Amino acid sequence: MQPFDYYRPESFEEAFELLSQPRKTAVAIAGGTDVIPQTRDGIRRPDLVVDIKGLPGMRDLAMTSMAPCCGAGPDECLYVGAAVRINEIARSSIVQDHWPILADAAASIGNEQIRNRATIGGNICTASPAADSAPALYVLDASVLIKGPRGEDRCLPIAQFFTGPKRNALKHAEIVAGLLIPGSPAGTLSFHEKLSRRKAGDLSIVSVAVMAFPSANSTTWRLALGAVGPTPVRAPEAEAILARGYDAEAVDLAAASAYGCCSPIGDIRSSLDYRQAMVVNLARKAIRAVVAQLPQA
Amino acid sequence: MLHDITFTVNGDRYVVAVRSHHTLLQVLREDLGITSPKRGCENGECGACTVLMDGLPVNSCMVLAPEADGAVIETAEGLSKDGILHPLQQAFIDHNAVQCGFCTPGMLMSSKALLDRTPHPSEDEIRYALVGNLCRCTGYVRIVEAVMDVAERE
Ligand SMILES: Cc1cc2nc3c(=O)[nH]c(=O)nc-3n(C[C@H](O)[C@H](O)[C@H](O)COP(=O)(O)OP(=O)(O)OC[C@H]3O[C@@H](n4cnc5c(N)ncnc54)[C@H](O)[C@@H]3O)c2cc1C
Ligand code: FES
Ligand code: FES
Repeated sequence: MQPFDYYRPESFEEAFELLSQPRKTAVAIAGGTDVIPQTRDGIRRPDLVVDIKGLPGMRDLAMTSMAPCCGAGPDECLYVGAAVRINEIARSSIVQDHWPILADAAASIGNEQIRNRATIGGNICTASPAADSAPALYVLDASVLIKGPRGEDRCLPIAQFFTGPKRNALKHAEIVAGLLIPGSPAGTLSFHEKLSRRKAGDLSIVSVAVMAFPSANSTTWRLALGAVGPTPVRAPEAEAILARGYDAEAVDLAAASAYGCCSPIGDIRSSLDYRQAMVVNLARKAIRAVVAQLPQA
Repeated sequence: MLHDITFTVNGDRYVVAVRSHHTLLQVLREDLGITSPKRGCENGECGACTVLMDGLPVNSCMVLAPEADGAVIETAEGLSKDGILHPLQQAFIDHNAVQCGFCTPGMLMSSKALLDRTPHPSEDEIRYALVGNLCRCTGYVRIVEAVMDVAERE
């Protein structure tokens, strides 16, 4: 690897200073599972690498009453520090019990060694359209907490954080501090599935996350897809169709309509034709999996 | 840039000066002469460089050397005790789970981490734990059998 200097700041102030040094290319590193291969391949040529894992709060995973930006009541939010490892999320009993779709999405990423290093913050900051945490974070209505060099903390809905392929909403030297995930009401159902060339250890061809919130006389739905366009997407039309009913015909219609939100490309992992077909198949499979847990319409 | 790091490898404490852009794999192999972790893809795909870092399997080619400061590292060199092989090592021999041996240290470390966490895993759990360890020789069946053998013991 080309030489660079490594720093491990202990405060955000120190980190901002390092990340905004004039005439130096600085890169933040968390798990390094994207940064290290990119640097080795010469895609990145950093002068300094700033390890942000040790910053305050970055490794916290806990319930919080920091509710303002996630819209839930006090104590109903999960705070996930940006440097929490993917495997810590996959194995957390709080996450498995209350946000199983996030645990499933985390468990689908890479392999054991990668999940022990990779972080949730790194996964969204890389902003790959195929980031496997994304569809789950989209249906969970997660918010991203961002800290900036001039103390201008801000909070963005996850869908505004992804701005294009490998592009995110961060401004120069900003750092993602963590994610806020609203609690789901009792009875919420969800399903996550990822299709890749191999059963495991590969990036997604298509991934899908579905949530349903049953109540006395109606069920609200959320559906998101990954690897099907420049950013992950929600499929509002499919959600609206399912809200009116979820018999077999409605499920087919919803799955077909999900395709309307996508603008897939063909790439090394899949031809365009195959990916188009798989969007509909995977959406249908995921919706059916949730319907199977619901009282019949 | 140089960093003085202190860490433990297989129970021995080391203080070494490492470069910012070197990896834990380089430090183990080139500075300490601990060569069971292999350099395969250097890209996080093959797992030949797998070591345990604070008890968890990681690709040592994906850890920057200064990040290892304070860590407890385990490699295949540390598995046998007083000349007696670790049960996993013996099972790999008994089941002919080794051909060229390039993947073996990584396979052993991933398997050890699994058994430390889940002493009696199912076959599916074993396969899931070994997704990040590629073997180009054995076809995996014998490797999984070797781990199953140890997993089924009391
Ligand atoms: C073998 C292999 C398999 C993989 N499989 C998958 C997979 O199946 N699914 C998947 O989604 N991904 C996969 N990945 C990609 C990668 O592991 C994930 O994207 C991972 O979550 C990145 O996290 P990290 O902490 O390692 O990121 P890093 O490499 O540390 O950082 C990634 C980017 O985010 C920035 N960054 C990190 N944290 C912050 C922060 N808090 N604030 C601001 N910027 C930040 C960095 O500057 C960099 O640009 C794989 C990678 C490898 C090598
Ligand atoms: S050499 Fe490290 S994963 Fe292949
Ligand atoms: S025994 Fe040769 S790579 Fe596994």
